[in-house]
Amino acid sequence: MLTCQQLVENSSDYLDAQLSLRGRLSVRLHLAMCVNCRRFIRQMKISQALLRQLPEEPIAGLEDLVAKLASQEQSRG
Amino acid sequence: MDYPLDAALLSRLRAGEQLAFRELVSTYQGAMRAVAIAIAGSRFADEVVQDAWLSVVRNLPGFEQRSSLKTWLLTITANSAKSRLKSSRREVLLDDLPAPHGSVGSERFAADGHWLSAPSAWHEDSPEALLAQEQLRECLEHTLASLSELQSSVLTLRERQGLELEDICNLLDVSLSNVRVLLHRARLKVFAALEHYQETGQC
Repeated sequence: MLTCQQLVENSSDYLDAQLSLRGRLSVRLHLAMCVNCRRFIRQMKISQALLRQLPEEPIAGLEDLVAKLASQEQSRG
Repeated sequence: MDYPLDAALLSRLRAGEQLAFRELVSTYQGAMRAVAIAIAGSRFADEVVQDAWLSVVRNLPGFEQRSSLKTWLLTITANSAKSRLKSSRREVLLDDLPAPHGSVGSERFAADGHWLSAPSAWHEDSPEALLAQEQLRECLEHTLASLSELQSSVLTLRERQGLELEDICNLLDVSLSNVRVLLHRARLKVFAALEHYQETGQC
């Protein structure tokens, strides 16, 4: 039986599907019985979604780069 | 394997269509920068990415789509970065820098492994609503900036760019177990910062 601390240690591997079948089952079993860890995993998933949706910095010099690349391609003909 | 979306973009690129180049750069520059930073460090990242783009254009006619366009671009970037590889990187690979709000460490747990201070409910848990808060966006940026270059690049490639762990290993020449460690530590730091923000409304 996993402890909460072990569940946290395994949480990334669980989210990335890196656990063996046995590992996955013991995480699921723990989650079924532990409200704190269910909340932890849910909040980890929210963190992931936040990073995914965080706007990227605008690309410095985008227009210049695009013009340069396109002209190189054209000049090759 | 077939990459129909890539094929459409490629034929526009080969025709020299400027809009297609803009689409290419906007879509992939972020991932390319993360790869460049992970391998060569942020000091050389701009140069590495610039070199990579030039090499991409040079090699466009010969690209045979045996991989996805993304994989091809990131491989070129990794090669360009490796030619500038900092020799010291291997030793600092798993260096763990302190984050503004720490991590989820053993102090959160009792001796028997149960939570001592369990996570509490977040009053706002929709990503969209959270990202609408400027302070939270700043808080995230601040936390990302506190990570080591390799840790933050691995996190970016996985979470923002959606790369598989295996692709990250291959591009960066880092073992799977190290990628897992880097990713996990980075995520716990982001989690701790968000938790702090939820509790205090501040970063």
